[in-house]
Amino acid sequence: MENEYYVCTGCGLLCDDIEVELVDGKVSKVNNACLKGVARLKECERPAECRIDDAPASLEDAIIEAARILKEADSPVIFGMGNSTSQAQKNAIEVAKKTDAYFDDTSSFCQGPVVEAILENKIRTCTLDEVRDKADIIVYWGADPSNSHPRHLSKYTYFPRGKERQRGWEEDRTAICIDVRKSDTATICGDKFYQIPPQADEELLNAIANGLSGKVPKVSFGMGPKKILELANMLKKAEFGVICVGLGLVYSLEEIEPLVRLMDKLNEVSNFHLIPMVGQYNMRGSNHNLYEETGYINRVKFTGNDVEHGAHCSVVELLRTRTVDAALIIGSDPMSSLPGSIAKELLDIPVITIDPCNTLTSRKAKVSIPTATAGSECGGTAVRMDGVEVEFKAMTETDRMCDAEILERIMGEL
Amino acid sequence: MGFGQFLKAPEYDIKIITYRDIFQSTALESSGCGDEYAERSAVILLDKGDLKKMVLKDGRKAVLKNNFGRVVVHLRPSGYEEGHEGIGYMTNSPWSNALVSSETGGSGVPKFKMIIASISDAKDEKVTSFDV
Ligand code: SF4
Repeated sequence: MENEYYVCTGCGLLCDDIEVELVDGKVSKVNNACLKGVARLKECERPAECRIDDAPASLEDAIIEAARILKEADSPVIFGMGNSTSQAQKNAIEVAKKTDAYFDDTSSFCQGPVVEAILENKIRTCTLDEVRDKADIIVYWGADPSNSHPRHLSKYTYFPRGKERQRGWEEDRTAICIDVRKSDTATICGDKFYQIPPQADEELLNAIANGLSGKVPKVSFGMGPKKILELANMLKKAEFGVICVGLGLVYSLEEIEPLVRLMDKLNEVSNFHLIPMVGQYNMRGSNHNLYEETGYINRVKFTGNDVEHGAHCSVVELLRTRTVDAALIIGSDPMSSLPGSIAKELLDIPVITIDPCNTLTSRKAKVSIPTATAGSECGGTAVRMDGVEVEFKAMTETDRMCDAEILERIMGEL
Repeated sequence: MGFGQFLKAPEYDIKIITYRDIFQSTALESSGCGDEYAERSAVILLDKGDLKKMVLKDGRKAVLKNNFGRVVVHLRPSGYEEGHEGIGYMTNSPWSNALVSSETGGSGVPKFKMIIASISDAKDEKVTSFDV
């Protein structure tokens, strides 16, 4: 019998070689996935309940109440999207247009600037398949995939044999890690680990660019010019290089420009690409879908046919400045992921959550709508961290609705 | 050493660096409201030298506090070969996020990687729970 493979929605790597065993219609065993993926694909320990104001409610009533809240709000925000199928994201954009809402996703406070630079062709990128087949120099900067994307190194970057890298990590590939902490990934990189102090990333980006231009690279911390030149030379000699950018780097840069400048410099003397280490399985899909619709990847406000964009439309600023009076949160848990001092503003406005699991946010929500888990219980499409669209099918059947359908129903009530 | 040395539970300033941990992320996938997630998140890892200097003990709890929040977490030595004096490590979670500044300069991006807090012995206080 031919094996059937599924896609894991545990992170932005969207591994497509997952095998599952079912018992009584439920996923009992998951093969090939990492620990995190297995936990994602099995049912959550505490599934979300359908509730209005702390009392159990029917799905029908919850949908009607959600629509009522959005209709009555003057300035609603729709937020989340990283764990939603592309269809659900498109439906959420329609709901935002219909209700003149703000629309933002998690990239707003993580990989947004990097994805934006890629979509605007400011930074050269490539696919993970190309990395597997061709890459000889792999740089993890402010990223620890051994913990965040556990199969990144084994499936695509460092360990596998690729078409032009038949001798794999032993001879054909060099992995470099630049980070503030000796992470598990840094340990794999051995003597190619470059430890820097917090917030020193921009200095090192500029120093490497200087080294590549033949100038003496200098930094204010304890990394001598010789060591920086050794790093710059390794990058220069790459036949096919890739920088995998993690949140450690993104958060330490005020602007993306120093990274763009280093990429430009690298491509004058070498052959380099960049891939953002996107966490949630379809955060990049949300960026692509909104970009297609509005020309912006996140942080927008719809008003009639107009679209406003800017940091003031970001979920963080909207909550901080108490601009919004209702929130629809889809597949996200801002009560956990935002600073507590900002997330607490959600307690003062009606919140609707659409999520398969019980979360800190769904517990505080006025309306909690349970959904099927994308990947295990419902199919769809998503955009992998490298921009490749991946289609996935459900592993099991469920009577819970998919997020795309719930949003369609809310739209119908508006 | 500052004013803190004269108090019963001295306070020291530390920088907190957040990181990802596969076991904590796995616990989050199972349940963000579960005990295992809390066990793996409400922890700060300190340099051995700092533990000694701050008269804090492995297995005890610490209060982490700044203008944005206050949490009680478990205290453990980090086990890193190289010292990281003045820097504590925490996984990303509501416990570390409680200490992230709400000042963004209008950028829309909180300073998740620039947490400075005071640390002191939590004595008999319970670990902070967000599961309410
Ligand atoms: S690396 Fe990511 S996509 Fe792959 S199995 Fe693990 S969690 Fe799933």
